[in-house]
Amino acid sequence: MSFGKLRYAAPALAGLGALGVLWLHWLVFFWVPTEASMGVVQRIFYIHVPSAWVAFFAFGIVAITGIMYLWLEDDRLDAAGVAAAEGGMVFTTAVLITGPLWGKIAWGTFWTWEPRLTLTLLLWFIYLGYFLVRRATDNPRQAKKFAAVVGIVGAADIPLIHISVAWLRSLHPQPVVMKPEGPTLDPHMLETLMVGLGSFTLLFLGLFVSRYLVEIAERKVALDERTAEAGATP
Amino acid sequence: MSGPAQERRTPSWARQVMAVVRKDLLVEFRTRERVASMGAFGVLVGVLFHYAIDPVAVRPQDVASGILWMTVLFAGILGVGRTFHLEDGDGAMSGLLHSPVALDALYVGKLIANVVLLWLIVALILVTFAAFFRVGLGPHPWAVIGILALGSFGFVALTTLFSAVSARTSMGESLLPVLVFPLLVPVIIFGVSATSRLMVARPLSEVAGNVRMLGAFALLAVAAGVTLFRFVVEE
Repeated sequence: MSFGKLRYAAPALAGLGALGVLWLHWLVFFWVPTEASMGVVQRIFYIHVPSAWVAFFAFGIVAITGIMYLWLEDDRLDAAGVAAAEGGMVFTTAVLITGPLWGKIAWGTFWTWEPRLTLTLLLWFIYLGYFLVRRATDNPRQAKKFAAVVGIVGAADIPLIHISVAWLRSLHPQPVVMKPEGPTLDPHMLETLMVGLGSFTLLFLGLFVSRYLVEIAERKVALDERTAEAGATP
Repeated sequence: MSGPAQERRTPSWARQVMAVVRKDLLVEFRTRERVASMGAFGVLVGVLFHYAIDPVAVRPQDVASGILWMTVLFAGILGVGRTFHLEDGDGAMSGLLHSPVALDALYVGKLIANVVLLWLIVALILVTFAAFFRVGLGPHPWAVIGILALGSFGFVALTTLFSAVSARTSMGESLLPVLVFPLLVPVIIFGVSATSRLMVARPLSEVAGNVRMLGAFALLAVAAGVTLFRFVVEE
């Protein structure tokens, strides 16, 4: 897609996503039935699960753009990686806030060493490393390669981290949708969750594309400034 | 150049690796910088842990396995983090990059030299802990040592790659733990649980899964290092 079309796609996606999130909140507060054992607090699930999905989806984009950047060295791929990582970090933070809020009531504690929660915390730190390496070198080309390496190794290691943190018995609710015998979730709850997943994905894609365009524009301005400076000096 | 210089072929990959290993170990043998700092660190951590654990509250043997791994990890970060400081002066790094050594051979050579150094330190830490905490290795001492060796190999493979990253940033070694600790969680979890169990005389079969996972981690780390190292060091 051309630059011009992306400029319209970004706000459209983000706007649709934002409307979806509003609709989701209406569903969560007024429509979906209350879960029998956990009560009202379970409703945070419809924010928590879509955030987690987006957090890991974004990291997938970071890893793929990283591999492609090392291969093709196209600056746009790196800009897309940064855009995905920033969005991903925001949603990872959302998971880490909503999880403990729910856990305090459902488990009686803000933090437990529950595998998925631990994995998300580690994901947050991997994202942090991704941004730190970028800032810690003056050579922009090197910074991009370093970040790509962090993203690729992080993505390759995530399955192992998941298996390792799941080694001990889990407190976390077991999957209710993606399992062999089909979803066991109440249809209303499933529908609300689907609205959540869809609207969070749209919102993320909108933010991702906007951030990507800003990143490209910033780089262009920086380049123009340098060219102008080089031209001005006799 | 003419004649003999042109006929001289590029040495085989294995020879390139061995040349790097020899160079790094020779430098280390002459300066003893990294072994001295890692070794002193390992022993001193043992001393500090002795005072950090109140024997009334908890028996040292109960936490020994975890502390052992953490000491190896911290000592390793200290030494492996300085892998590329050997080439700090006199443009040695660009000399190395311009030499006929393939970049993956350079990584593997650095990795082997680091593993040799860290295994020495692991041996020293084991002796120290045995003496300080009267910690026995259980009925299968060689299995415990093998698991420590395998875990530290995976750890070094990953950390050598990232030490090439951190050495070239302005943050230097302070960046290294932030980059590698989240990724090293599998080594700690599978390593600590395996050695703890063997130390309390659980059967070998109980840790087979852990060993396989440590092996998988090591394979992944070496594969990542061999393929990605070139992108990290290229000018």
